[in-house]
Amino acid sequence: MTVGLTHYLVLAAALFLVGMAGVLIRRNSLIMFMSIEIMLSAANLVFAAYSRLHGDLAGHVFVLMVFAVAAAEAAIGLAILVEIYRLRRSVNVDDLNTLME
Amino acid sequence: METILFYLFGGLMLGAAAMTVASRSAVAAAVWLVFSFVCAAGVFALLAAPFLAILQILIYAGAIMVLFLFVIMMLQGPVLPAEVAGRTVGRKVVLALPAAAIAVILISWAVRGREAAFGATPVTGTAAAVASLLLNRYLLAFELISIVLLVAIVGVMALGRKQEVLP
Repeated sequence: MTVGLTHYLVLAAALFLVGMAGVLIRRNSLIMFMSIEIMLSAANLVFAAYSRLHGDLAGHVFVLMVFAVAAAEAAIGLAILVEIYRLRRSVNVDDLNTLME
Repeated sequence: METILFYLFGGLMLGAAAMTVASRSAVAAAVWLVFSFVCAAGVFALLAAPFLAILQILIYAGAIMVLFLFVIMMLQGPVLPAEVAGRTVGRKVVLALPAAAIAVILISWAVRGREAAFGATPVTGTAAAVASLLLNRYLLAFELISIVLLVAIVGVMALGRKQEVLP
C-alpha cells in the first residue's frame, strides 16, 4: 500500500492528539508549551501534505509563517514564564490561582 | 522505500512526542522534542520539501529548543523536581477525554473516502522555488510576519527588563 495523503493526515491527527493531551494533563507550564509546539508541528505536516497533493508550493509558504509564529509565541511565552517564576517561584499552573481565591 | 521511511520517521516522531508529554523532567522532555522535530524534518523531506526540512532543523530543533533549554536551565537547574502531588489517574482520564473526542473526529475525517495518491512527479519545494513565491505572491504576508517578529522582540524586551515599582 503506497503512502498517500491519508497516512500523513492520520499521523498529523495523532500528533495533535498527543499535544492536546499534554496541554490538558500536564501541570508544568514548560511542558505545556512544548505540547503546543507539537500541535503546531502537526498543522505543519498537514500544510506540507496538501501542498504535495496539489503540487502547489503555497503550503510551504504557510509552513514558514507557522515557523515564525511559533518562534514569536515561544519567545513571548517563555518571557512571561520567567516573570511568573520571579513572582511565584513556581512554573506549576495549579499554583497560579490568585484569581480563584 | 518511501513507505519504510514514512513509518520510520512518522513512528519515531510520534513516539518522541509521546515521550515529551510523558517525561517527568523538563530537560528530558525538551530533548525528546528535539528528536521529534528532527524526525519531522525527515517527514518533510519525504513530502518533497527539502527547504522546509532544513528550516525545521535550523529554526525548531536549533533556535526554539535552545531557547526552551536555556529557560529550563535558568529557572530550576538541570533537573526539575517531579510534579508534586500529581493528578490522580481518574482525573487524568477525565482531562484526556476531550482530546480523545477531537482525535476521533480528526482521524475519522482523515480516513474518509479513499486514499488520495500523490502525483508521480512532485513539485519540489527548493529554496529558490519557495522564495520566489514568498517574495512575489505572498510578499504582504512576508512583510506582516516580519512585523509580528519585531513586535515579539519588543514585547520580550519589555517583559524582561527590571521591574519598576508602580506608583
